[in-house]
Amino acid sequence: MVKAALVVTHALALALLVPGPALAQRALAELACTPTKTDFIYDCVIHLTRGGQALTGARITVGADMPSMPMAHNVRPVEATPGKIPGEYQAMLDLEMPGEWAVKLRLAGPVRDQLILLYDFDDKGAHPVTRSGRPHRK
Amino acid sequence: MDDYAVGVLTNIGLFGFLAISAYLLLLAGEMSFGQQAFFGVGAYSGGMLTAMGGWPLPLAVVAAMLLGALAALMVALPTLRLRGLYFAMATLAAAEMARIGFELLHWQVELEGEQTGPDGTQGFRGIRWVLENGIEPGAYLAIIWLVLAMVVGVVIALERTRLGATLRGVGEDPELAAALGVDVTRFKLGVAAAAGALAALGGVLYAHHNTYVEPRNFDIMLGVHSLAYALIGGLGTVFGPLLGVLVDIGLLEGSRVFQGYRMIVFGGLVALLLVFRPRGLLDERTVIWLRRRLSSLTPWR
Repeated sequence: MVKAALVVTHALALALLVPGPALAQRALAELACTPTKTDFIYDCVIHLTRGGQALTGARITVGADMPSMPMAHNVRPVEATPGKIPGEYQAMLDLEMPGEWAVKLRLAGPVRDQLILLYDFDDKGAHPVTRSGRPHRK
Repeated sequence: MDDYAVGVLTNIGLFGFLAISAYLLLLAGEMSFGQQAFFGVGAYSGGMLTAMGGWPLPLAVVAAMLLGALAALMVALPTLRLRGLYFAMATLAAAEMARIGFELLHWQVELEGEQTGPDGTQGFRGIRWVLENGIEPGAYLAIIWLVLAMVVGVVIALERTRLGATLRGVGEDPELAAALGVDVTRFKLGVAAAAGALAALGGVLYAHHNTYVEPRNFDIMLGVHSLAYALIGGLGTVFGPLLGVLVDIGLLEGSRVFQGYRMIVFGGLVALLLVFRPRGLLDERTVIWLRRRLSSLTPWR
């Protein structure tokens, strides 16, 4: 039993020690959200680009976490659906309260990455978080 | 398993490290409101080593744990002479100093045309080691729980040794322990360093799960939660703090029906729990009763 556990641990450590391939050009995203009639549910449009071009064919899983309460909110991740124009995706975000949220976009398909977008959600929609007088970079 | 379940279990596992960290200090008779600082030290140092230094994650974990232990020692050396509430306040002040330190930390390097590294209040993004190595969320969840199981195993083994008995003795009556020849201050410094290393371990795993950290992640809220887990779960066994995490996140997830009032309902439920179980769910008496019941059910032992 102990021997088996040691073998598993060594195999895991060796697998993790091997450096993997670097990612290609990074994707960038912007978010535009409007509140729905239900409290804290937002209809969001994501604009995804890579190298200045619209990024199509991506599978996006959208989640969210509050930076001031990390791990305490388990917002159910949703799959974004392709929108009307290339690079546009839509998702309904069910947040638990207004305030600053770190929206997590997990990308799969043509690019594998995770993007974090910091937005302030209120009854008017979502606004990029500004700190030190400049908007938070995407 | 769907993304939601993977996310919840990952968060439970990550909180588990912080909860056990607070539990170790509570056993030694010290209540720390500052374990989030060492979680932050682990997150930032581990993230910098993999994202900026190109280190493999296992090595970064070891280095982050050492730094977490060192940071905890630096806080414990001047504060352990304080007692009770004064110690708690000192650890909170130290944690706030660390958080402000993260806000002042600007150290970025250009990697693949992108600025990577801590950027003060703008946070630190691009901690992509797990993504770049093709580790899926489910596999990373398994890694987190495997590491947590190893930590629990080590703590259980330690609690059964003379060291474990000394730990509880120091926590319950330090004067008596000192009279029996235990160097209480040195012992507590060791416990503080171990607790700091454990919190840093949780932090480095959190940073690589999230790919992004910022100073606000490590504020008082995280420290209060970690302490609450150990107190809700009970101090009778290392499973107590883990049960505390399960109860907390379980109550939070189970009270979704209350929508906007959820946090109020959750707070009320925690208060009720502490009224009826002031020493937590798995307190020393309950653990002894459970052990007796288990041994009566297994007569061959």
